[in-house]
Amino acid sequence: MTTHLGYLILFAACLAAVFGALLRDDPAAQLRLAGRILTGLVLGAWALGWLMYLAF
Amino acid sequence: MTAPPRAAAAPDRLGPAATAILAWIVPGGGHVVHGQARKGAIFFVVLVGMFGIGLASGGRLFPFQIADVLVFLAAGAEWLAGLPRLIGALAGAGRGDVVAATYEYGNAFLIAGGLLNLLVILDAVDLAAGRKAR
Repeated sequence: MTTHLGYLILFAACLAAVFGALLRDDPAAQLRLAGRILTGLVLGAWALGWLMYLAF
Repeated sequence: MTAPPRAAAAPDRLGPAATAILAWIVPGGGHVVHGQARKGAIFFVVLVGMFGIGLASGGRLFPFQIADVLVFLAAGAEWLAGLPRLIGALAGAGRGDVVAATYEYGNAFLIAGGLLNLLVILDAVDLAAGRKAR
């Protein structure tokens, strides 16, 4: 895999899995938190990318 | 003023120092010995996976080089991964393919994997010390 987006999603998924498991005890809550972290990281990076593209 | 109640540490389990060493050597191992096998398995799979992805992407296993502070810090972060870092070094992996498009991604996975293991170690130490409910 050599796409930026692929690496971004893979990296965010790893972070989300670790933080989800660290910060919650219930499996359903872990999954929900991991999903929120993954979504936030990917959308945040995407938005930041567009912001930098437009600003610079 | 009274101290907050602490969950009693089970005497048959490892203490904080031994837990820290085990959790460092085997990512997730500290959680497994304290009865959180599911969490331990998640940490093991994800952190070892991150290390594998980092190496497969051409990332570098940095040496402890005092002259270059960033290289020194990167080496410290990678060694926090424990056994995967040791196996990688013994296997001669992680020479770092600087011209590969994925080189920096590989480094990011290797370094972040080690740093995440530090958080996992600290969480396991909290479990061992009875500061966190099992």
